[in-house]
Amino acid sequence: MKRIIINEWRLLYRNKTQFGIMCGFMIVVIVAIFLSHKQYNVQYDSFNSAKNELRAQWENIDAMNPHSAAHYGTYVFKPANLLTHLDEGVNSITGNVLRVEGHVQNEMVHSEASQMMFTSKFGKLKASLIFQYIIPLLLIFSAFASVYSEKQNDRLKLIVLQGISPNRIMFSKALAIWLYSNILLIITLLVYLIFSTSNLSSDLLLRLVLFFVSYSLYYFIIIGLTIFLSARINKTAIALTSMIGIWMLWTVFIPSMVLSSVEDWHPLPSRNAFKSAMSEDRSKGIDGHNPSDERGKALETKVLSEYGVDSLSQLPINFDGIRMQEDEEYGNLVWDKHFGNLNDILQDQKNTVQYFGIINPFTSLQNASIGLAGSDNLHHQMFLRQVEDYRRVFIKALNDEHAYGGSKTGDWGWKANNDFFKSVADFDYQPIMFKTVLKHYLLDICLLILWTGIVIVLIIFGTNKIAMT
Amino acid sequence: MITLQNISKSYKDQTAVDNLNLNVDSGEILGLLGANGAGKSTTINMILGLIKPDSGKITVHDIDVDKSPEYSRQFIGYIPENVNLYNYLTGIENLNYFCLLAGLKYSKPELQDILETCGLDKDSHHRKISTYSKGMRQKVGIAIAYAKKAKVLLLDEPASGLDPLASNELSVLLKQLASNGTSILMASHDIFRVREVCNRIGILKQGRLVKTLNSNDVSANELESLYLQYMKN
Repeated sequence: MKRIIINEWRLLYRNKTQFGIMCGFMIVVIVAIFLSHKQYNVQYDSFNSAKNELRAQWENIDAMNPHSAAHYGTYVFKPANLLTHLDEGVNSITGNVLRVEGHVQNEMVHSEASQMMFTSKFGKLKASLIFQYIIPLLLIFSAFASVYSEKQNDRLKLIVLQGISPNRIMFSKALAIWLYSNILLIITLLVYLIFSTSNLSSDLLLRLVLFFVSYSLYYFIIIGLTIFLSARINKTAIALTSMIGIWMLWTVFIPSMVLSSVEDWHPLPSRNAFKSAMSEDRSKGIDGHNPSDERGKALETKVLSEYGVDSLSQLPINFDGIRMQEDEEYGNLVWDKHFGNLNDILQDQKNTVQYFGIINPFTSLQNASIGLAGSDNLHHQMFLRQVEDYRRVFIKALNDEHAYGGSKTGDWGWKANNDFFKSVADFDYQPIMFKTVLKHYLLDICLLILWTGIVIVLIIFGTNKIAMT
Repeated sequence: MITLQNISKSYKDQTAVDNLNLNVDSGEILGLLGANGAGKSTTINMILGLIKPDSGKITVHDIDVDKSPEYSRQFIGYIPENVNLYNYLTGIENLNYFCLLAGLKYSKPELQDILETCGLDKDSHHRKISTYSKGMRQKVGIAIAYAKKAKVLLLDEPASGLDPLASNELSVLLKQLASNGTSILMASHDIFRVREVCNRIGILKQGRLVKTLNSNDVSANELESLYLQYMKN
């Protein structure tokens, strides 16, 4: 087996055309990573400078009414994951900046299934495009050529006569081309690591290892299946066409089918329907800006009795702040309810998409790729959750200052001082750890392993008695 | 030694080989003459164990091919019409690779000796196969069988497309191998070459062995007449 692998490599190296194509691909991948890295740096710098500037603006607020400050709000930035160089995923459409302000919560706007389509768009030179579409095509042609050249003019007979069984020849060929694809991957990832040395962490390395494993498994599936079909089918044109057909089915047709099926099976409400339902539920709560609101009146009675006074003017605190916070908390419950439902639907969509990996390993690869790159829906949802949690703490701090900072009810002109604004904590994004990602994408990795096993079985048992005459 | 006993093979309604009995002794060269579709290649593929006969028994070096095809192949060398080697490797690299596949390790001088024995001069050993003529490739193919110490050599149209000099060199080489005890079965259209190289000649027609004769018993012209006569009838 080792001899065949070494020979395949030697042939690859000496075949100037193939070697040239390999070098060309390497250059394109490296350029793609370099461009992504450059974009990341620009984005990182502009995010940092915008973040610092916004924080400085906030900390420099000399004196301002806390409620005005709540409407003034702030912005939070989703820190770009270093691995997004390799797979941009949904980041290109979700954006990375969110506004945080009173009364207004952020939305999740797209379905789990649709993330597959974002990554499959051609056009922009992206590392994921090369990893997921171009390299597999190159591997299909290499694997096909490798078997075809042996079958041509009886050379396979000559090899078999040396005492090697056909399945051993085919398996060795699959391994040889797979190792070649791994070299392409390793070089690419090494280049990536060189660009990213300053920001490396154990979490990132673990993601990178699993990222490599996912692609490596997928490449074996592609190579193995091509070897199997090329060995089994005598008519070369049919063998190649069949594999290209499977590749198209996996990369174009099934993802489109998944998209429409999953959205049919687990429909998300339209943005308008969702907003209407939210508004309807929200209207049942306190109107923080309307003193004559009925539920507001009930709260007023409760607070007055707590303080043992008869009117708002007698309160030592500012009731407006309490009412606005109550309004916020009701709004939070509404948000939790609706986004909880939305999360359940998204989770159902995610599970269904993942099960499509049984018939399409490309789906599993895409899921694992964006999941490990941190550019998937899951990371985006977790970012939104953190932003919402921060928004609640942020607005509560402002409402509490409005209520208990020293002003009286109706005193909208009262201003908190600079020390208060400085004391309000900034948003601190907690990155999603590898363990969480693994938990969500273990099924995809397992399906890729299952497919690899199936392909190994096909080669071992399906190419032992191939026609050589 | 090769023995074929009552071998028959059909594809759908077409008979490729019909009750064929053959015997090639050690050191003997048997030439099989026949038109296209006469069953020559099918016979060779059955001896190689790549096609299973419908009936009959084939033994190579006293090994039942049907029962132990892989084992029997260890003793067989095979030269197709076009010896398709690896174009990006040199002659010596090709030989070394095929030897390694067979589990044989030869030193570089030993490989060079084998190539020289098979008629390839030293200058050509380190040239890529893509620069070799068809005759030179045939010689590398024979060198592979020679290195393997094959007891049986099967050749399918080996002289087809060779220039007279290369064809003659091939004849000399085959005789040399036979003199060392190798049993050689050669399928060909080339009546004159078969007459010159082989000890015995068999004429195949529609899968049946219609005539066997010693090459010493007929001249080239007589053989041609006889062959044409069988083909016409």
